[in-house]
Amino acid sequence: MSAATETLYAQRLKRYVTAMRNGKPDRVPIRPFVAELTAKYAGYTIQEVTQDYQKAFAAARKCAADFDWDAVVGNMVYGWAGLVQAIGLRYYASPGVELPPDTPFQYLEPPEDEAWMRPDEYDALAEDPTGYLLSVWLPRVSADVSPLGQPSSLRNNLSFLKGGMAMLEYFQGFGVQADRLRSESGTVSAISGILKAPLDILADKLRGYKGLCADLFRQPQKVLAACEALAPHLLEVAAGGADPQKNVPIGLWMHRGCVPFLSPPQFEKFYWPTLRWIVEGLWARGHQTLFYAEGDWTANLKYFAELPERAIVFHVDRSDIFAAHRTLGEKFCLSGGVPNDLLAFGTPQDVRACCKKIIDGVARQGGYIMDASAIMQDDTNVENLRAMTDFTREYGVY
Amino acid sequence: MPEQDTSRRPPGVCIPWEEKRKEMPAIRGDEQLVERVWKDIDGLAYMYIWQVLLSF
Repeated sequence: MSAATETLYAQRLKRYVTAMRNGKPDRVPIRPFVAELTAKYAGYTIQEVTQDYQKAFAAARKCAADFDWDAVVGNMVYGWAGLVQAIGLRYYASPGVELPPDTPFQYLEPPEDEAWMRPDEYDALAEDPTGYLLSVWLPRVSADVSPLGQPSSLRNNLSFLKGGMAMLEYFQGFGVQADRLRSESGTVSAISGILKAPLDILADKLRGYKGLCADLFRQPQKVLAACEALAPHLLEVAAGGADPQKNVPIGLWMHRGCVPFLSPPQFEKFYWPTLRWIVEGLWARGHQTLFYAEGDWTANLKYFAELPERAIVFHVDRSDIFAAHRTLGEKFCLSGGVPNDLLAFGTPQDVRACCKKIIDGVARQGGYIMDASAIMQDDTNVENLRAMTDFTREYGVY
Repeated sequence: MPEQDTSRRPPGVCIPWEEKRKEMPAIRGDEQLVERVWKDIDGLAYMYIWQVLLSF
């Protein structure tokens, strides 16, 4: 790595971390969460970057270098289809296989009566979450893993062998990717580690959203107990993948805790307590959490304001970014707020106007990172992304 | 809120070392070394299943 690139990396890291600690860096950091957009830009199909993670890594590096961003996620097309297929996971539709080659991957929720976790299995989950996942959940979600008590098979054995080996290779690849982003373009890897709220885990992967909604009314204490049982494990996994240098945050992917999925009282009772416990536990270990709050969380901002100062970075999708700044800005850095539909269908002039409004409204005292509202897929217009980048670099100087 | 994990399988563990130890004959060398490596590899399996749940 050249001395100039290392200096550039150090400048970018300082800029990014200063903003995340709610300080005022030299200028507004630019940290776009680009997913399938990288494929379009680099000349790959969506199938290619979803099936072959080395191409996804290459596409991300090309974007980082060409756009000269401060930070980027190593691969935001994160669900590697090759691994999914090796394990035999049933809940995934892949581009080029079940889907056309230029359609992003899809998660498939099963019918309510075929949920991966049955409604009478809350006690089993709460008693031994890891054992339940290995013995009950995995055989249901994998076409190859044999249920306990049934004869094993070659496919069963290979699912574990290939899944484990492939996962190890993939995650080690992120380390190499981070080094290459640093050495080739001086770009910071934006996040490290993964977290989801216990209630989102129940909805996304176990009971399904409809099943979970029914459970909130029919067996609320079981739901609470399950969330409490999951929480220590989710904390363990998040901490295990976190940045050992404690520079970049853990990514928290917030799915269906906001209106209209949960009412604020339901959020307060079911979604927030265990999530708060996890986030405070991570902060006690020195790790910030990036609240990637997809949807509109304006009604929930008052809860996030209870967290310790600088414990989180709050990412704005459809939330009111100015309300978020009023409620959270004293304590936490914000990111995002440039609508994806503007980046897809607007003009560069519209994009620049939006960026100016955001910077003027929430970034003047620092504590803001420029990004789109949500993960940029293939509908993002490249010229608009360039307009967002170039304008921020010029106008977002302190 | 979770204050003390009393489950049979706490975070980071698939097969507890105590369970594995009962299956083994007398360890004639460094038992702590055997235990540490067992726990490290067991942690990889733990990470596997939780990452399947979280990431894929």
